[in-house]
Amino acid sequence: MTLAPTLQVREFVEIPCTVDIPYRFAAGKYLSRFLVELRDNGRFLGIRCPVCKRVQLPPRIVCAVCHVRNSEWVELGLEGTLTAFTIMHLPLTDPTTGKPHKPPFCYGSVRLDGSDSVVDYFLNVEPSMRRLRVGMRMRVVLKPRESRKGDLTDILYFDPVD
Amino acid sequence: MKRNVAIIGGGQTHHAGRRPDVNQGELVNEAVRAALTDAQVAIDEIDAVLLGNMEFFEGTHLTDCWLVDATGALGKPGLKITTGGTVGASIVCAGVYHVASGLFDKVLCIGFEKQEEGDTGAILSAVAHPLYGRSVAGAAVGYFAMMGASYMAAWGATEVHSAMVAVKARQNACKNEYAHLRLNITIDDVLSSRMLAYPIRILDMCPASNGACALVLADQKTAEDRCAKPVWIRAMETVHNEQFEFDWRDVTTSKPMFSRVAAHNIYKRLGVQDPAQYFDVFEIYEPATWAELVWYEDLGLCPRGEGFKLIENGVTEIGGPIPVNPSGGVLSTNPIGASAMLRIWEAALQIRGDAGGRQVPKEVRRALATAYGGTNWTVLTALSKDLED
Repeated sequence: MTLAPTLQVREFVEIPCTVDIPYRFAAGKYLSRFLVELRDNGRFLGIRCPVCKRVQLPPRIVCAVCHVRNSEWVELGLEGTLTAFTIMHLPLTDPTTGKPHKPPFCYGSVRLDGSDSVVDYFLNVEPSMRRLRVGMRMRVVLKPRESRKGDLTDILYFDPVD
Repeated sequence: MKRNVAIIGGGQTHHAGRRPDVNQGELVNEAVRAALTDAQVAIDEIDAVLLGNMEFFEGTHLTDCWLVDATGALGKPGLKITTGGTVGASIVCAGVYHVASGLFDKVLCIGFEKQEEGDTGAILSAVAHPLYGRSVAGAAVGYFAMMGASYMAAWGATEVHSAMVAVKARQNACKNEYAHLRLNITIDDVLSSRMLAYPIRILDMCPASNGACALVLADQKTAEDRCAKPVWIRAMETVHNEQFEFDWRDVTTSKPMFSRVAAHNIYKRLGVQDPAQYFDVFEIYEPATWAELVWYEDLGLCPRGEGFKLIENGVTEIGGPIPVNPSGGVLSTNPIGASAMLRIWEAALQIRGDAGGRQVPKEVRRALATAYGGTNWTVLTALSKDLED
């Protein structure tokens, strides 16, 4: 039997595959304290660098700029300022649940009062997303205590301060 | 640098959204053969092979191992490099370090991506911290959308300005036979295209491409002996942001952003006073239109908050005083693991005068290429025609 030269391929094979990977992620010393405080007491804790004094969020062991160990815990306010946002029109999959967010939905960066960092999270825009403005004041709304689990999704959303 | 390093040849595939006719090895081999032919170097003369792509984008790891046939790396020292969107430039950076150090004389650098094989958005979401922000994560478009909203609020630009960037990119791509999106579009086409994430429409965003790029780097002696048109790597600079600090989306931030710090560092190293005057062409990494406007400012091509005026006045057109992305850029072609290397290769082609229909109509002696990694770090590459430049 004579075989056709491989470059004259009539059918290219493509096989759909899925990879499902379980893993266990360790939050470590600093982030664990932050998450437990958020879950149990509904408080946001930042960490202040002893050299540059920047309050960093989430708390982490080293100030990347000063190369020193962060040590001073600071309680932040639950209000802040919107620095950037988007209105998402794609049904993006929530990677933590595998389910799509229902578009359109909004998220943005909020700088909590007393913090030098921003937090990215969903924005409540009811009744109209047209009210969103860079610079507007936002307030953290947490999920009820019993449904918090100790990660950033314990936040329900940021709500505009009217 | 301890030893001077030149690009003595390179090659790329024709980039496309669908390449079911090749597997990853066959795709990579197209670019490898083109680069070796261009450099007139046999694979047996190559001292080391460096390969990179995005981790798991094709559902596989350790591509250095199982593409070893197609890359020509069998029996040679080699590295697999993965640094996000910067990977193509990081591969070149690693190659430059190895040649500059004196360890190797000829290094083959390869970047590739076969995006159609994986779910880019899903895999990118794993870049976000699992407990701190991953639920909001999903594709790069949302992050660039926030940059765009911030940019408009801060500087008074409009969606028309981002549309101008989209048109420039695709019109330039029409002159580039290798580009993926070669679209003859107008500003109205962009403004009426589908909204993905306000203010970014589908024509404001890069495509998902399949493609590969390969470069041959060599030391000065090899370059001068073997290559008629070596292009010299004059400096490279890598700078990161802090983890969790996402202020680049707030374009008014006064923090030392990676892109501005990297530009400052590489200009200082080269003695650049006025980058717009010093460099003859720029190949920047712009996965979204707004990123190009921010790059203008971060690279010091204009004062802060005035990037949109450059596009408005045609300054960065192929024939303008500061040509930016004559290739059509990432907006037209984005095989991610190759994209940052394509910026460097396009810059080299411009310096060689080999950019064909997309050659800028002036003498090109110096060029600057940029990259974005997670838009939280960059690798900059400065190239020149002569070592005196």
